[in-house]
Amino acid sequence: MTAHFVNLLDDLRRRSLRMASEVEDMVQEACEVVFQLNETLAQRVIARDVEVDAEEVAVESEVIRLMALYQPVGVDLRLLCTVLKANNDFERIADCAVNIAERASHLEVQSLASECDALRRMAPIVRRILRHAIQSYSADDMQVARRVLEEDEPIDAYYGQIVREIVANATRSSENMGGQLDLLSVAKNLERIADHATNIAEEVIFVSTGQIVRHRGASRPR
Amino acid sequence: MSAGAALRESAVPQRTTLAPGQTPDADVVEPIVRVDQLTIRYGDFEAIKRVCLDIPPRRVTAIIGPSGCGKSSLLRAMNRMNDFVPGVRVEGAVIFNGQNVYAAECDPVELRRRVGMVFQRPNPFPKSIFRNVAWAAQMNGYRGDINELVEQSLRRAALWDEVKDKLSLSALALSGGQQQRLCIARAIALQPEVLLMDEPCSALDPIATARIEDLIDQLKSQYTVVLVTHNMQQAARVSDRTAFMYMGELVEVDQTNLIFTRPGNPRTQDYITGRFG
Repeated sequence: MTAHFVNLLDDLRRRSLRMASEVEDMVQEACEVVFQLNETLAQRVIARDVEVDAEEVAVESEVIRLMALYQPVGVDLRLLCTVLKANNDFERIADCAVNIAERASHLEVQSLASECDALRRMAPIVRRILRHAIQSYSADDMQVARRVLEEDEPIDAYYGQIVREIVANATRSSENMGGQLDLLSVAKNLERIADHATNIAEEVIFVSTGQIVRHRGASRPR
Repeated sequence: MSAGAALRESAVPQRTTLAPGQTPDADVVEPIVRVDQLTIRYGDFEAIKRVCLDIPPRRVTAIIGPSGCGKSSLLRAMNRMNDFVPGVRVEGAVIFNGQNVYAAECDPVELRRRVGMVFQRPNPFPKSIFRNVAWAAQMNGYRGDINELVEQSLRRAALWDEVKDKLSLSALALSGGQQQRLCIARAIALQPEVLLMDEPCSALDPIATARIEDLIDQLKSQYTVVLVTHNMQQAARVSDRTAFMYMGELVEVDQTNLIFTRPGNPRTQDYITGRFG
């Protein structure tokens, strides 16, 4: 029974990682559309969300089934809790990618994005953070997970800079307000993706140590 | 907390912050039973190896571990039930309320009155329900109102409502779960301070098991309970602290919620997740 349960856990983990890989691809394609209009690619990102949604439900159902039937404890319990939470984060990241793709389908975004230095810097960092988060999740690598938490720090600064630039532009002229708001939405969704990636890294630390490190290093006493 | 630190309970600093749902540590209360460097040998076989364990009062302490790990031997050492095993040798001490139970001046009969025991299989006497509860108390010189004692004991064992109209019937006519609660009532009638339970639900169905588990939860407001169980979910459900034993050694003891979510020792982790051996 135990070997069987371990196999089921491995299957679940592989399934969750396939979903993670799918979501990472969606974010990459959405970011491409931000800087280079590609309606086909944008539609593909939007279409892939349906698969991710279905997969989210399937993974969640499997976690509930395993908890009910096997009553796991210790590291197995922590792993299932983490898969459940990361599953939610992956689905939300996919939603963010869809939001970005939808906004980036509008004609004004590419020209504004290319002129926005903070956004050009921010997008690859967000993708890197997500890649590292998935890497740490895949390999239970605490060191990489801790690096993700550090990498997230400049994201808020970039987002703040983008907001200030958009407000300044809007103050100067109301021209192209729609495009500016689309750009703001893109930046906001990128910032949310980084937050979800950080959540995943925190869950990886929880699986390995049992420590809850959310809310900036606050951990519960044993 | 490392496994070593978990074992040296008295060396662990007092915690000042308790998370929601946490019970106070055994470290911050005076133990009612202290097992100190206990070694038990049956002939050449060393069943218990230099075990140290504090049992906090009015808590449920569960002892878990694979078959043959020494958990029942440890339990039985607390009221000297091992004395009846031929060839047994005991080193170290079991301190109960400040006195070593293995000291020459300790009266084992009085000890077993104060440290009662409930066994794996219900073992009521072939007497009436009333006599099962009353007999041992009277034999121990109880001078009070015996009817009141029987009723009180049966109530505390959550059995009164089911048997109050048939106290004169044979205890052997009761169901297995009722018989086990009768045995608990019998132990309670002696007004013990500690109740030792050696797999008290292993012969019972899930409904009867749930009744006994509820009862254990109620009993801990008045008694100290030490529970040996093979059922890890049961240990998780009913105990405040859990001790994990393996091959005669105490591997780890800690708050139950920590043992079952983030144990400090890899051997505990392997055991509770079923990856042992």
